[in-house]
Amino acid sequence: MKTRIKELRARYNLTQDDLARKVGVRRETILFMEKGKYNPSLQLAHDVAKALKTTIEELFIFEDS
Amino acid sequence: MKDKLGILVGIGIAAFVIVTLAFYIINAGTLEIREIGIIGIALILVASAGYFLWDRMKNIRKGLPAQDERLKLTNYKACSYGFIACIWSAVGAPLAAGIFFDYEMPGNYVTAIVVLCGGLTFMISYLYLAWKGN
Repeated sequence: MKTRIKELRARYNLTQDDLARKVGVRRETILFMEKGKYNPSLQLAHDVAKALKTTIEELFIFEDS
Repeated sequence: MKDKLGILVGIGIAAFVIVTLAFYIINAGTLEIREIGIIGIALILVASAGYFLWDRMKNIRKGLPAQDERLKLTNYKACSYGFIACIWSAVGAPLAAGIFFDYEMPGNYVTAIVVLCGGLTFMISYLYLAWKGN
């Protein structure tokens, strides 16, 4: 799974710490989500999408396996 | 508040373990290699626990949560690996001692091996998963 978190975070000039604070998780969780190494819960995906003013479908790019 | 209390309790337990080890070393006199190994593993466990506590304090100071959903998942996974290690060491250690050394292992040794194996597996898998991602 790929994400557009880094791209959107840069657009809104947010650091990983800022985004982590907004959604109430640790910075490492944002880092692993950006790298595609962590699949967040639906709640967290929703919170991150909301913080970045987008939708879950726009934020996460699912690839067929 | 709950996180801070957890950290304080953790620091208290780590200090208690270090003091207990210090008393043991002082009273034991000359230590055998086996005892040094066990003390070494216990110190590694305390050092790892210290790292967890420092990591949590660092996040609280930044205004971030000490634990989030990813870390809870990491915790669950590491716990399950530690549990498996406990079961296998409880079965395997006395069996291996009997087969390879023809030695009937006392119950307190088995308990020590189970605790150390479980603790070490938990710490290693927790650190690995926290570093590598889930």
